Amino acid sequence: MELQISDEFFAEKTKAVEALYQVLDPELMVNVIDLGLIYELNFTNRKTIKVTMTLTSKGCPLGEAISEGVRNALGEKFPEHQVEVETVWEPQWTFEDISSTGREQLGF
Amino acid sequence: MQVTIKDAAVLPFYGAGAIFFLILTLLMFVASNRFQDHFFQAQTLALVHAAALGWGTMIICGAAYQLMPVIFERELYSSKMAFTSFLALFTGSIALVCSFWYFHIGLLMIGSGVLVLIAAILYSINVFKTAGSAKFNVQKLFLMASSIWLIITATVGVLLAINLYKPFISFSHFEILKLHAHIGFVGWFLQLITGVSSLLVPMFLFGKSKKTNLLYLSFAFQNIGLIGFTIDQALWGSSTRALVYFIIIVAGIGCWLIYLRDIYVSRVKKKVDLQMRYTFISKVFLLLAVALVPVVMLVSGNEWSILYGVFIFLGWISAIIFGKTFKTLPFIIWNIHYKKEHGKRNIPLPKQLYSEGLLVYQFWFFIAALFILSFGVLINQLIVIQSGLLLWILVALLYVLNVAKVFLHKKQSDGITN
Repeated sequence: MELQISDEFFAEKTKAVEALYQVLDPELMVNVIDLGLIYELNFTNRKTIKVTMTLTSKGCPLGEAISEGVRNALGEKFPEHQVEVETVWEPQWTFEDISSTGREQLGF
Repeated sequence: MQVTIKDAAVLPFYGAGAIFFLILTLLMFVASNRFQDHFFQAQTLALVHAAALGWGTMIICGAAYQLMPVIFERELYSSKMAFTSFLALFTGSIALVCSFWYFHIGLLMIGSGVLVLIAAILYSINVFKTAGSAKFNVQKLFLMASSIWLIITATVGVLLAINLYKPFISFSHFEILKLHAHIGFVGWFLQLITGVSSLLVPMFLFGKSKKTNLLYLSFAFQNIGLIGFTIDQALWGSSTRALVYFIIIVAGIGCWLIYLRDIYVSRVKKKVDLQMRYTFISKVFLLLAVALVPVVMLVSGNEWSILYGVFIFLGWISAIIFGKTFKTLPFIIWNIHYKKEHGKRNIPLPKQLYSEGLLVYQFWFFIAALFILSFGVLINQLIVIQSGLLLWILVALLYVLNVAKVFLHKKQSDGITN
């Protein structure tokens, strides 16, 4: 996920990404941004944040916890917003989606 | 602590399996001289069933229920059915071990066998219903086939228990017993472990392999070899033809191990954690057991068959369980405590729910215990066998302590673990 400075919600999205850096995948111990799990952050209106994300595997036993982590972290940062998290499987996540920082943390 | 029905279906398997393992090591020490005898002894049969059902099947079933949603990419069909299967397996295993230990042939032995069979049927229904219309893959094949082999193993076991009470099988009881054991090893344990590991090892190591055909070959070889052996053994009894089936099954094991090696070599996660090291070392013990099969068949002496059993249950299956327990159990408990809190505040990570230090000690004591016990069996020295078995009690205590630490974890509010 890339942030564009020309984006109308650039400031909000930057703040949201900062919050999501605190949400770790409990198994891999790398945050969801560096793992490449967040596909899109959408501030469609002033009241709702829509997060489109994926998980490293379908049926992941920790999937609900990770989605909950995203919801909680954004909810704390944006208490006036409603957070909606949608988990998608297309495009399918692969380990090529992990950032260089994430790779370093995983010992790649 | 909010325990859902999903958790209640899985957790008892881990708890009961850990206690069974401790009891198994204590019983092994009490019956240490059985490691010098022929395996067809009441106490040895009790030990084998404690290891195969109370320890191996108990934990492996629990882990399978936990991992089925990952493998089939859909929710487990029935958690209530899974819990019922636990009750049947737990009571059946205790009763069966007692019936062998005191050699109470008759209703106790038959009834406990039936309970194990009920557990196997319930497990199998859950596997097939969960797999249902899920996307086809080779892991699905392995899981479904292994559950059928589990039912066949348990059915043959019940027939053997009936035959001990009121003989009705025209073949040698001993020949059918061999069949029962090999269907259990190759059909149930090997096929389930092949299927699950071929999915989890790439996941944990971030490895990829394009050689999926090897897994299909492995499935074909393992099943052709086992079906051939079963029919041949049931109709004509032991013969040197068993070596042919053995070679076919070994080819199946070889295909699977080559696939895992490919994953290991191509992995991007270079650092391999202790749990994965347990998984890899387990393969060494499997290969040692496999290497012993021709020796057991062609060379006389009790030590070879005892050694074979030691490598299978205490080496291969135990090493897998030691590794997988701490790849699954802490996550289940963590989910119960912290799923709703995640992302809100500083909370412990799943790996902080158990002691990595204890796991390291357990690893080295495990290697030492297995080596000393095997050496004692090989040289037929009771004192060496007993020394190895004392170490096994220590291994079990370390394992139980670590499992208890996970189970008894108290929810933290400031990120400090208990």
